[in-house]
Amino acid sequence: MTAPVITGGAPGAPRTPDTPAIPGVSGTRATLRRNFRRGVWRVLRRKPSRIVGVAILGVFAFMGIFGPLLYPARLPRDDNALYAAPSLAHPFGTDFEGTDVLALVITGARYVLLTALVTAVITVALGTAVGLFAGFRRGRWDTVLMRITDMKLTIPALPLLLVLSTVWKFTSAIEMGLVLGLLGWGGVARAVRAQTLSLRERGFIEAARGLGLSSGHIVGRELLPSMAPFIAMNMLIAVTGAVYAQVGLFFLGVLPFDANNWGVMLNLAVFGGGALTTTTALPYMLAPLLAILLLTLGIVLVVDAMDEIFNPRLRED
Amino acid sequence: MKRLAAAAVVLCLAAVTAACGGNADSSAGGVFTTIDALKPGIDANAPINPYNPKGNAFRGYNAEWLGWTKNHLTDPNQFYPGVAQSWQIAPDQSSITLRLHPGGKWSDGEPITAKDVKFSIGLAYTQGGTAYALDPSAAGTASDIKIVDDRTIKITQAAKNPSSSFVRSVMETVIVPEHVWRGVLPADFWQRLKLAQSDAPGAEVARAGITSLADKVISFAPPRDVSAGPFVLKRVNPGEALLVKNKNFYNAANVAADQVRILNYTGNEQVWNYLVSGRLDSAPFTAVPAGVMRRITETPGNAVVRGYSPVSEGLAFNQSRKPYDNVHVRRALAYLIDRRQVTKVASPEGGTASLTTSGLHQQAAKAWLGDGLAALDPYRHDPARAANELRAAGMKKVAGRWTMPDGGPWKMTINVPASFSDWLAGAKAVTSQLNDAGIDAEVVTTADYPLYLEEMAAGKYDLGFWLVALGPAPYNIFQRLYGAQNGWQLFGGRLRHVAPGTEGNWMGGAEVIDVKGAGRVNPGELAVRLNSVPEAEQRRIVSTLARTANQDLPVIQLWDYVNTQVVNTTRFTGFPGNESDALRLTSGVWLQLGMVKRKSHI
Repeated sequence: MTAPVITGGAPGAPRTPDTPAIPGVSGTRATLRRNFRRGVWRVLRRKPSRIVGVAILGVFAFMGIFGPLLYPARLPRDDNALYAAPSLAHPFGTDFEGTDVLALVITGARYVLLTALVTAVITVALGTAVGLFAGFRRGRWDTVLMRITDMKLTIPALPLLLVLSTVWKFTSAIEMGLVLGLLGWGGVARAVRAQTLSLRERGFIEAARGLGLSSGHIVGRELLPSMAPFIAMNMLIAVTGAVYAQVGLFFLGVLPFDANNWGVMLNLAVFGGGALTTTTALPYMLAPLLAILLLTLGIVLVVDAMDEIFNPRLRED
Repeated sequence: MKRLAAAAVVLCLAAVTAACGGNADSSAGGVFTTIDALKPGIDANAPINPYNPKGNAFRGYNAEWLGWTKNHLTDPNQFYPGVAQSWQIAPDQSSITLRLHPGGKWSDGEPITAKDVKFSIGLAYTQGGTAYALDPSAAGTASDIKIVDDRTIKITQAAKNPSSSFVRSVMETVIVPEHVWRGVLPADFWQRLKLAQSDAPGAEVARAGITSLADKVISFAPPRDVSAGPFVLKRVNPGEALLVKNKNFYNAANVAADQVRILNYTGNEQVWNYLVSGRLDSAPFTAVPAGVMRRITETPGNAVVRGYSPVSEGLAFNQSRKPYDNVHVRRALAYLIDRRQVTKVASPEGGTASLTTSGLHQQAAKAWLGDGLAALDPYRHDPARAANELRAAGMKKVAGRWTMPDGGPWKMTINVPASFSDWLAGAKAVTSQLNDAGIDAEVVTTADYPLYLEEMAAGKYDLGFWLVALGPAPYNIFQRLYGAQNGWQLFGGRLRHVAPGTEGNWMGGAEVIDVKGAGRVNPGELAVRLNSVPEAEQRRIVSTLARTANQDLPVIQLWDYVNTQVVNTTRFTGFPGNESDALRLTSGVWLQLGMVKRKSHI
């Protein structure tokens, strides 16, 4: 596992004032990056399902970023095609106003994904910070932070959200993500603390302490990288949790109406269109469900790949 | 071996017989299955108490009124017999004399007497209501209750402030057995009531004392059901209430069902599924999407019955908010909204696009206004006129979007409760149309209906969906436009107008309006007069108020509801037909009147 000594930067890379002057160090990092990328590619290729997972997430990312740009600001409606059956023009039929359901799913992806991203970032950032700090410092800090975490874990999120929705309309995805994130960090904090308590007793941490390295260095450079895979996977899983939570709230009808929100679509398909009673509104219900299913599938497949990328012991070669 | 086989056959037959007989309630002939729209969410632990909102007393089945109000376009004082067999209303509606069914008995065999009626009226006083208001100066209250004989009772209206709602209010009194409920009212109740209805010292304390009995009445739990209706509650569980025929009911011989099962439901989709599976013999009005209705009608025996429903859906303005204080803006919106398209999207099966805005359901409008209906502005979809109206209001169009007169953004927000799917679809259809026309409009939902009404009353919304035209009494129709929500408070027989944003006045309309051809009109004052004037004068007032509503537009009427019900003729026949005046009554009333017949092969 000795890294080959490379005496230059990446081929063709211009040297700038910021480029480190020590060729050995920069070359090693470039090589590590290159090796990492190759490793990732190798892990992905090993199981084609993982490439499918990445492709799915890529499609959703595209939908989130560019989806609304593909359609006019106000989606066209057709009074003569209310709840139209699937066709070439409307692969998932139309809704109660005669609007293309696929267009609704695509344009609605941004809110759902942005909320999920904000939730995941907050969940992971807050959970990791609290867990690392509590686990590393132990003592009173640990006691106080874990009691706060326990209190947070005992608060049932859904009833609280239902109450909150009566006073807060959650009109923006960031607001929604913020609230879901603030309600969801407890589990991550507990898990990260447990990992930290385990790692801090390991030899390399002891060695770092013996070398007199600062706490910041030990946490930032020793502990955090060791937990990076775990944190990254938690982040992806938090995305699915956030999607379920927000779609569930919109489905229950407690959050603001937005025709292209996936949860609102499900609500209207079931309670307005009778999708569980007749097939007329079934495609209208299935489209957002399929989107959620695909997104979850993509995340699960990517998490599977990440597990192997970050955990060399799982590699088969 | 043969013996063993024979024993096995006998055992199998026994098992099959047991299986068939195990659910006798559901397989027995004469079981009528329905839902009670007044009681979504059956509570098995609730008392058998008609005053309790969750009580297991079902109107028309085991909860009986004195009489059942017919669904008449203009006359609210037509009834079918209930506990009363007949009634005599004084020409000026100053009194009503009720004659009970001769030989009428409670389900436990005790006779139903005038004393029971008087006692029930005593209970009604604890709950309040038009005829039973404790305030001596309130309109339409009963001043005297006189037992003429064992089966006859006369109730007289206070002469000071009469109301045409008095008779209906009396007839809609639920009657309970005194011998079961006796302990709920104190022995000196009628003395207390007399004092409460006077101006004597101590009247206020007496009023408070009677009002304080309300909770005791609501929470009273009779040990068993003693019913004056055609059915008696046998048992109730979270899934359904089972009622059996009351053999002592005066018309028991003509009650076609031996048992009634009232199924629990918490959402419309459950009702749809019951109907699709053919389980319900009848279902009252439920908002049904077109596709589901098609599926329902495919079920053998299911048939759709439609009739008049004095309810319309309106888009109501908070006129204390800009720019909705400007009548030109309201008119512009009326011209911009294509009501046919909105109705097609929102209520294709249960509504018909409003002909115009008059405050009246279109069928009632034809009956009340006659040719006057055609003289009203129909507000046909006309974007050009809408643009002219907006310009008249000073609104500006910048880069294809309408702005406020000062150039600031105009963001129109329509509020609806999230749980009403037809309202939600309607509001969305309206905003889509307005956005197409250059008005930035959006729908905002509120978690549930009680919260929606609370926030609306607090003046938190610019616009919201609001039921109007709640007839048939003309006062009830117009108080939705020119009542407490628009500032007219009727208290102690005196009418006053309160400022917008105060005391529940969220509509914020002007107290006096210049109406073309009618001069300066105080619509709230006119609406209250509808309670006490003869029919000819009522017609004049209704005409004036309709023109006022049409010109001033406190709401834009979107669609008029159609009472769309589903009946199943597989097991029973004789259901009320299209436009029947019994369509707004429960199927319990149809059964007790002997309208519904059992199919001979059942």
